[in-house]
Amino acid sequence: MLDTSKTAPPVLSVRNLSKAFAGKTVVDDVSFDIHPGETIGLVGENGAGKSTTKNMLCGLLQPSKGEILVGGEVVPQIDGPEHGISAVHQELSLFGSLTVAENMCITDLPGRPARVNWAEADRIAKAQLEFLGIEIDTKATIESLGAGRQQVVEIAKALLHADRVLILDEPTTSLTAIEREKLFAIIDTLKARGVAIIFISHFMEEIYRVCDKFIVLRDGKQVGGGHLADVPQRQLEEMMVGRTLEDSRIDLDPPGDAEALSVKGLTAIDFENVDFTVHKGEILGISGLMGAGRTEIAEAIFGLRPASGCVQVHGETVSPVTVQAMKDRRVCYVPEDRRTNGLFLNRPVRENLSAASILNFVRRSLRGVGFRGEKARAQEEVKARNISVPSIENRVSDLSGGNQQKVLLGRWLSTLPDILIFDEPTKGVDIGAKFDIHETIAGLARAGKAVIIVSSDLPELLHTTHRILVMRKGHMVGEFRREDYDSVKIISLAASAGNGSNRNA
Amino acid sequence: MPETVRNIFARQKWMAIAVATIVLAGILTAASPVFLTFSNIQSILVQSSVTAIMAIGMTFIILTAGIDISVGAILFFTSALFAQLMIDTESYLLAFTAAMVCATGLGALNGILVVRFRISPLITTLATYSIYRGAAIHLTGAQNIPVPRDMGFLGNGKLLGVPVPIIILALIFAIGVYAFSRTRFGVFTRAIGNSARSAQESNLPVNRITIAVYAASGLVTGIAALILLARVGGLQSGIGIGIEFTVIAAVILGGTKLTGGSGTVTGSVIGAVFLVLIDNGLNLMNASPYIYDIVRGSVLLAAVAVDRLSAIRQQKSVEAARAARIRGSAVAG
Repeated sequence: MLDTSKTAPPVLSVRNLSKAFAGKTVVDDVSFDIHPGETIGLVGENGAGKSTTKNMLCGLLQPSKGEILVGGEVVPQIDGPEHGISAVHQELSLFGSLTVAENMCITDLPGRPARVNWAEADRIAKAQLEFLGIEIDTKATIESLGAGRQQVVEIAKALLHADRVLILDEPTTSLTAIEREKLFAIIDTLKARGVAIIFISHFMEEIYRVCDKFIVLRDGKQVGGGHLADVPQRQLEEMMVGRTLEDSRIDLDPPGDAEALSVKGLTAIDFENVDFTVHKGEILGISGLMGAGRTEIAEAIFGLRPASGCVQVHGETVSPVTVQAMKDRRVCYVPEDRRTNGLFLNRPVRENLSAASILNFVRRSLRGVGFRGEKARAQEEVKARNISVPSIENRVSDLSGGNQQKVLLGRWLSTLPDILIFDEPTKGVDIGAKFDIHETIAGLARAGKAVIIVSSDLPELLHTTHRILVMRKGHMVGEFRREDYDSVKIISLAASAGNGSNRNA
Repeated sequence: MPETVRNIFARQKWMAIAVATIVLAGILTAASPVFLTFSNIQSILVQSSVTAIMAIGMTFIILTAGIDISVGAILFFTSALFAQLMIDTESYLLAFTAAMVCATGLGALNGILVVRFRISPLITTLATYSIYRGAAIHLTGAQNIPVPRDMGFLGNGKLLGVPVPIIILALIFAIGVYAFSRTRFGVFTRAIGNSARSAQESNLPVNRITIAVYAASGLVTGIAALILLARVGGLQSGIGIGIEFTVIAAVILGGTKLTGGSGTVTGSVIGAVFLVLIDNGLNLMNASPYIYDIVRGSVLLAAVAVDRLSAIRQQKSVEAARAARIRGSAVAG
């Protein structure tokens, strides 16, 4: 690498960059400089504001506040092609049935509209791929390539139009170890050629492998930055996780000894050989990064997704594992995406509350018409769950996220379950509702119910659970007891690129 | 590197229908000595010309993941307008120009509605189907209108020994293949059907291309209308009823995916010929006329089912590869 990075002006600088949506500040006061040939790692937990920052940097969003300087000159908003800034998003923008050359040149086809010069397009694509030192058949269709090669084509395409700053957003999530190394080699080539790179990743190893400098975001704020060489990984992880949560832990009673739910050798497409047991009165957390297979396991246990292996409820094997079989055994599942998988948005709160236990009301009212007791039950539930809603006849879509989640919770609690599985129980809810939901969950455990919480929100797991299982790429890679909770250890275990398995870490 | 048969099938999406057509032709040759005569083959091509021409236009619509149910109504409206103008003005030039403009306009209107209101193309064109057909009947007072005798040249005449409909089909086919592979319009069409989101993000003129695709389909439908009018000899109220089924079936049989992005013009034309061959075969078997629709529907269903099965198989192998990767990382650790 040329040593111009110290003297040359930064290719891109941002000062006090902020973004607010509907009054809520998502990114607050981000400032940094990036020089040619430099790589900056942008790190932070889920929801820390990385994506919003990225979108402002590549011109998809207009900042609410702050200053952007491109090559030393102030610009109001970034225009990717004009300023030489391009981004490769997690979701690729390629066309599967078109060829590599067609994909790379589609926004700027050589020749006339009525006669595209495909030979020239092919030449451009070949030259670009050669420049990056990659061998890919330019006439192959994108869908015939593996994830790694698709990623490379996307990068090559992006650099064709803007080659000063390249933003890579979690570029390795769908790559194999070999593909990842190849990608890093390409990044090294680009650095040597003077391309500035902003690298967004969860994986600390990758950040250290690829980047020179770093910025840490937490809750939208820039809480750290500097040269990676000066900062050990542990310290970086602490910056990322931040807050110490010991004080806000919820009091839990010790769990019972009786087995409530146990899973042995559960295997499906997204995970393999998962074993664990939840006891009565215990709250078990399942942690892991996106794509680690957390949700898939929860769905498999509830019979929503085919899997092999053994699921036992109160020591009795459930076979086959179907939703009905699980419901009959008083198991319930509260899904992650309440809007699409849980609630009937355009139906009233009353119906949403009674949906899972509607048969109870029918049986009692054989002679009458309608569902006797449904209204009274719904009223009770609204009160018990502290749902703020003018009337039980209001549509669920009118409620806030937190109240919607409470309705969903109420629906399943009214089936009087013994075992509850929650997937992201407090995603997108306000802090008050979050507290209510955590209290409810803790109360359930005190009453002897077994609870599993699947969550990407580590602090939530840290203070609501007895035990946390860590998943990585479809495998259980670790288990922590409440007394040994260490958020940094858990995060680094979930995010490490290594493949080792260290249970009871 | 020698390509395997499977690869050729995967790359040339019209191969399957081509093989099916040759097999069917073989069966018909064995069943009837007159099948493989020059005149019979010519007649099959002439019979399939109207739907084949329309199928070429429909291919582009389906490539964008759209559909146009109203093509039969556009065909009918254009025929009606042309016949009526010929009666009123006796000017070929005027009637022809008006018919082409009108056909293109009706197609474009479908495209504009789809783009502007973001309604599903199925519902949009189901509605315009009813409107266009109703308007045509209103225009002509539901009468049968004969067209001038010399119009017959377009439907039954020959140029240098080749039937005129075949020449027109060949021309439109050539333009279609060229537009598909060599023009910006063609790539953009395929790109939009592949991923409307990516197309939008890449700043492709999604709306303009979508409207253009429906307009182009309208235009070729207008041309097909004149051939059909010439062959039938005049406007009849039954013209174009149910033809959208044959056209869409030809495109789907030809290997174009209803989900968009993938398909060929060649396949659609062969698909249209294939459907005529089926009629031909049923005719040879002296089958009851009621059987025809049952057979056509069953063939379409079978083709779509086979296609789905292969897609599901592909999906399975992708999932298996992913599972293998998870297993692989376990072995490494």
